[in-house]
Amino acid sequence: MIQLVIQKELREIFRTAKVLWLLIGVLILMGLALYNGYSYYASHSALLRESQKVTYQQFISQGDKNPHLGAHFGFYAYKPTAELAMIDNGIEDYTGNSFYLEPHKRGVVRFREVTDATGIRSFGFFNVGYFSQFILPLFIFLIAHNIFSKEWENGTIKMILSSKATTRQIFMGKLLACLILVFALLVLLGIASLGLLSLGPDSIHLPRILGAYGLYWLGLTVFSLLITVIGVSVSLLTRNSSLSLVSLSGFWLLGVFLIPRLSSEVSKRMYPSITSLEFENTTFHDKEYGVDGEGTKDERRATLEKETLKKYGVTRLEDLPVFYIPITIEHFEESDGKVMDRAYEAVEMNEKKQNAVLLTSSVLSPFLAFRDFSMRMTATDMHTHNDFAEKAELHRRKVGVIVDDFYQKNTVAGNDFWKTVPQFAYTAPGISWRLASAAPAIAILFGWTLVSVLLMFFSYRKMTV
Amino acid sequence: MKLSIVRVIWNLELKILSRNKVLVALFAIMLVMLLSALWIGNSMYRKQEQTIGKIQVHEAEMLDSLKTRIRRIEANHMVHPGFIWDDPTFAYNTARNEGPKFAVKQPFVLQALNVGQSDIQPFYYKVYINKKQYLTYEGEIDNSLLQFIGNFDFAFVVIYLFPLLIIVFTYNVLSSEKEQGTWVLLKTSNQSIARLIQLRVSIRYVLFTGLFWLLVIPIMVALLGSSFLATSNWWWTFALVSLYFGFWFVLSFLVNSFSLTSTVNAMVLIFLWLFTGILIPNVLQIGLSQAYPIPSRISQTNEERKAVNKYFEKDGQLLTKEVFSSPRTLIRQASIVTPGMVYGYGVIVYKSQEIKDAAAEVAERKLYGQIEKQQAAIQAFQLLSPALMMQEELSALSGTHWFQFNAFSRDVDQFRKRTQQFYYPKMTYESTYRTFSVKDAEAIPTFTPQSYHDYSWSKIPQAFISYLAIMGLLGWIGHRKLLNAQR
Repeated sequence: MIQLVIQKELREIFRTAKVLWLLIGVLILMGLALYNGYSYYASHSALLRESQKVTYQQFISQGDKNPHLGAHFGFYAYKPTAELAMIDNGIEDYTGNSFYLEPHKRGVVRFREVTDATGIRSFGFFNVGYFSQFILPLFIFLIAHNIFSKEWENGTIKMILSSKATTRQIFMGKLLACLILVFALLVLLGIASLGLLSLGPDSIHLPRILGAYGLYWLGLTVFSLLITVIGVSVSLLTRNSSLSLVSLSGFWLLGVFLIPRLSSEVSKRMYPSITSLEFENTTFHDKEYGVDGEGTKDERRATLEKETLKKYGVTRLEDLPVFYIPITIEHFEESDGKVMDRAYEAVEMNEKKQNAVLLTSSVLSPFLAFRDFSMRMTATDMHTHNDFAEKAELHRRKVGVIVDDFYQKNTVAGNDFWKTVPQFAYTAPGISWRLASAAPAIAILFGWTLVSVLLMFFSYRKMTV
Repeated sequence: MKLSIVRVIWNLELKILSRNKVLVALFAIMLVMLLSALWIGNSMYRKQEQTIGKIQVHEAEMLDSLKTRIRRIEANHMVHPGFIWDDPTFAYNTARNEGPKFAVKQPFVLQALNVGQSDIQPFYYKVYINKKQYLTYEGEIDNSLLQFIGNFDFAFVVIYLFPLLIIVFTYNVLSSEKEQGTWVLLKTSNQSIARLIQLRVSIRYVLFTGLFWLLVIPIMVALLGSSFLATSNWWWTFALVSLYFGFWFVLSFLVNSFSLTSTVNAMVLIFLWLFTGILIPNVLQIGLSQAYPIPSRISQTNEERKAVNKYFEKDGQLLTKEVFSSPRTLIRQASIVTPGMVYGYGVIVYKSQEIKDAAAEVAERKLYGQIEKQQAAIQAFQLLSPALMMQEELSALSGTHWFQFNAFSRDVDQFRKRTQQFYYPKMTYESTYRTFSVKDAEAIPTFTPQSYHDYSWSKIPQAFISYLAIMGLLGWIGHRKLLNAQR
């Protein structure tokens, strides 16, 4: 019997001109999302891969230089475009992906693409992620909003209820009809994106990312399921297509735009960010005057000089068997590094608190919870970005130690030496790391699934005349 | 139509709207949203002002500290007691330490209405001789995720939320008459149905827009003072927002005129909102990034580095001989920093900076050129999307458009060149290496503040007239459809 109800509903859906137009529109948008995501991924991935080679090549072929000057020429550590950025590029354009490796200064990730974009960028970036988080839920609501209410409006509810089908069969039939349509779209989208991934420039990494890709689609399936259940239940509860449409659109608007933006503002007010000016002044002060009573920089410099002379058993710097300048550079690289680590840790901690407020607000918006899940699965989130920055900073310090050790015995470094400095390579963490990082979002999504099931039972009991 | 009829319908509309609890509640919620948005925009604007105040204090302290330290050294027979790299009588040291001045873009008061690009573009730079600001600064330390989510400002509420509220207010003006069975009664009245519906929509527009401004203007005056009322930016903002609301009322009138059911009206209007507000800008974005791809700054850095390497391979050999290997500079020894070494590093930095700047200028022109082409295309295509038009024009009027930040960035670049011209000769003065005096400290160039809220480049009047014409056309079509429906 359920099968009959499904057939009837699907026939009705496909015979409605507005739904057909809607489907055509959605298919076109899917195509655009795939194309845009793929071209973004292909161009960015190629540029970053090539640039990583070029910058290192420039560094190791810079010729004879004072080692410290050469180290200042430095090179860049680039965050490679995440393999799944074709699906969702998350906050990639807002974080930047270039980390400059030079002495004295903890690197800052630079070149955020968004600063070179026109105002049109604020409308979002159209890819599979955008489609799934913004367009697909609205499409589901447009399909489901009158799946029950039309029966009351057309006066056919009595006929349906008096037929052989039970209320459970009617409910499940209508719900499954909507789900078949939605899942058909998902399957199409899933196959198409998998095809593009396997055609893409990093197709050799495909086996490594298949797990994350599978989990992403599992998450999207659960998300689509809960949205469909909500749509169908609201249609049954309101018994009025207009009211149902307005309610569901309002829910969409709240979840997609209002709650994220409002909670973002709340988090900024609860945990205000430090300004660049304050950050610079504070770190400068701590570096110059020291922390935890370690003394001013001049005092520390004098202590270092004394200790070094004592260590080598000489009385003048000129008599040291090694050059003294690289020793001071290395020493202050370490102590300044601690100041900078502390300062950046405070910034990161504050950002974590802000993000936690945002994530907490997703108990009011499944859209936001899914967005968070999506970014973490595709490794285009803040957590992965911080992991990259941390690894790039470690590499910067490693380079600093190599150069300073060399500089203690040589004042000129040639290409033979530069070639001994290791290249940087970053790979985003694997599936278990991503899953652990997405655990709160997954928990919230399951909570929403539970809510939708409860709503389904509640509305199902209201299926009376 | 007689005035008495207008009065009757006015009263009727007031009664219908005030008795609709859903509408009243929705309107109240929206107003709370609007107030929150104004408060948020205002606090962001104030925060920037506070930061600028702190910058001014910091700069004054730096200059005082610099002069005091130079005076102390001069009084101490030119002996600097501390680390040589901190000795301010070397021009190169001052250029790196206390010398750099700030260039600031003072926020315009209407920025409180529209954050625009002010949260992602720097509104102040510390201008160094050896750091190209576009490659160095990334603006404030802000959470990228929150920037990605977007701001909740007046512009967002007006551009995205209010059209939806207008849809809820108007989607069933005609269809409800049919669904409630009062359509037949209306047809028998001696008034034109087209005129009646037009009048009802117009009254709702006047009520909606009037209430909106009655609330917004006093709050803005309370938060920002009344000075903005004297600017043409404000009056254009007023006109454009009113026009934008009008557009959605006219569109709803047109959809109503097709005599469809309330549900279909709502669906069509929501689709139009989605289509013009989200899809068109996104499709346009895809097209523009294909037509005018914006080069990455990464490629520019590569170019810059290539130029430096090339220089040191050929012409730089001379510099290497003169400075790097010179017994005067003692760069070849690495135990004691000598005055000659400070001088030598200064010369190397100065020379290589000139090369980097020349290489960067070409790449920079290409980058800005592509963005400008995209901007020009957006201006041309903004008629397709009222949301895009509003965002562009509101940004221009509030001084937060890319164009205005770019103008600021270019001014900063000029200022940086002026600063370089000030320091370079002092850095390369060989006889004593130490030339920087109190007089020099007082003569360090400072940035001349400019105002960046001029909008003459943005063709606002043309956009306004075009939309007015579009609205007229839509209204006329709707009117014609209703005349037919009457028959």
